[in-house]
Amino acid sequence: MLGKKSVRYITIIAATLSVLWLLSLGWAIQDYYAGATDHVVKKQDRSQKTVIKNHMFTVVALGDSLTRGTGDDSGKGYVGYVADDLNERFNGSIVVQNLGINGQVSSQLKKQVKQPNIQRQLAEADIILLTIGANDLFQQGRTLENFDLATIKTIEDAFVKNITTIFTDIRKANPDATIFFVGLYNPFIDVDETGVTSPTVRDWNRIAEEVSSTYPRIVFVPTYDIFQLSVNDYLFTDKFHPNQEGYRLMADRIAPLIKWEGESK
Amino acid sequence: MNKLIANEMMKLVARKRLLVIGAIVGILVILFTFAQYKEVQTQREKLGTDDWRDSLQQQIIDMQNRLGSSRISDDWREQIQVSVQQLQFYLDQDINPSEPGAVTFVRMFIENSTDLFIPLLIMIVASDLVSSEHTLGSVKLLLTRPVKRWRILLSKYMTLLLATSLIVTMTGLLSYVISGIVFGYHGWNAPIITGFVVDGGNVDTSSIRLISQWKFLLMDFGLVWFVAVVVGTLAFMLSVLIRSTAASMGVMLASLVSGAILNNMVSSWESAKYFFMVNLKLTNYLNGVAPPITGMTLLSSMSVLLIWWAAALVLSFFVFTRQDVY
Repeated sequence: MLGKKSVRYITIIAATLSVLWLLSLGWAIQDYYAGATDHVVKKQDRSQKTVIKNHMFTVVALGDSLTRGTGDDSGKGYVGYVADDLNERFNGSIVVQNLGINGQVSSQLKKQVKQPNIQRQLAEADIILLTIGANDLFQQGRTLENFDLATIKTIEDAFVKNITTIFTDIRKANPDATIFFVGLYNPFIDVDETGVTSPTVRDWNRIAEEVSSTYPRIVFVPTYDIFQLSVNDYLFTDKFHPNQEGYRLMADRIAPLIKWEGESK
Repeated sequence: MNKLIANEMMKLVARKRLLVIGAIVGILVILFTFAQYKEVQTQREKLGTDDWRDSLQQQIIDMQNRLGSSRISDDWREQIQVSVQQLQFYLDQDINPSEPGAVTFVRMFIENSTDLFIPLLIMIVASDLVSSEHTLGSVKLLLTRPVKRWRILLSKYMTLLLATSLIVTMTGLLSYVISGIVFGYHGWNAPIITGFVVDGGNVDTSSIRLISQWKFLLMDFGLVWFVAVVVGTLAFMLSVLIRSTAASMGVMLASLVSGAILNNMVSSWESAKYFFMVNLKLTNYLNGVAPPITGMTLLSSMSVLLIWWAAALVLSFFVFTRQDVY
């Protein structure tokens, strides 16, 4: 049983605390509605930010749903399979940053690579994987429905401009890392009776490869041929994204090209 | 009056309720500390880096991918959009929104316990302040004294306020001391961004300010204390109206839990904002989290709570002074 004295102390402490919390409450309301404006955040000078290169082999993946791995039941996508392969060869010392966003088009990616933090992550990369353009060209299938060469030409021109900026920005952040730019396949090759989509996709790939070749250390990885003969075997049920098998074949193209001095012999 | 309060405090301390509450808080904090620690570890393993910027970036990308899905509801989409913009702002400013340390843990813990956990703790004390006197039969002894009835009730209410302050403080202290063992006792001066104005799915960052975490924590505690007082007063009223402790606890518990459920589904039922239970998450306003019903503000929520508080208080005194006791 506590004595009278300690009860009294507890009461006094409790009373003091009550006053403290009441004051805090008043402060919270005052600050919320009439907060001092002198602490307003100013744009920071980010130029001094130093990049500390980690010792792990770093893969940064950028782009759309293909980078994300949409359609793969295991959720890995080609990035995941490339990472699996590298993990085996490099004794597990790799880091993967998958920055792919479903439905991303080249204009959005252009903004994404300008973000300071993305630039920092790119600077740390040893290789960069990139898929972009499928959503620009196909627009969720709308391009095929109203097929018009003039529209495609305008889309193509905008894409070339965007991708040029993207490559320039990536190279600014990281002049050394090899970029693997994955080309488009034609998911509509079986359903397209008029046969207009295949030349369009081929043409698109040719232009994309040409732009890539004007920058150092960009490898254009074709995927058109993988899906050319038996497209339905390698497509997910949405008939647009690759399935697990399709992603595996894509990864098999890229993974052997990646070399690192830390590789175990 | 002082003697009455001292008497009530004596009863409170003697019943060891506060110790029980302390034990509950202690156990929960240990659980959450462990959970948090595990989460940090798995995150580290998954991403392969220690850099908080990488994990924050990944969090943003994951949310953006969820936005791309067509199967999510509009409300949920707006919430995610708001979070993405806020996190992106933290990232652009190079500020870690959850700087590791005991202080951040306390902040997270106290913010997440405003609407259910802390009210429950207060309820343990408040629900039987009056009704237990009925159950024990000691109310007759109390009322036969030459003291006005309202003074007796007032002394009980003052005790409740004191107990509320003690419980809120105890929760803060215990979570600081226990989580600090794992996360370290730092983070008082970590910068926190406040002043996000949420409007639909958009975040207005024009009135954004940076404040130290200890200031933010104090404000959080002020709001949490206010909520605790209001909920405590309501439980106190029930304890006067319903003479059975179990029944008054049950009613209070039901309304608190219903509030937690309602919060997720009331967005299209506008008049629900007059319920006290959907207004309990006051700390969300400081964090810039969108309120459950559009149009709710800190002031409107506090006014609703104040009205409930005043009504409960008036009703308690009115009933207690007129009640027949047998």
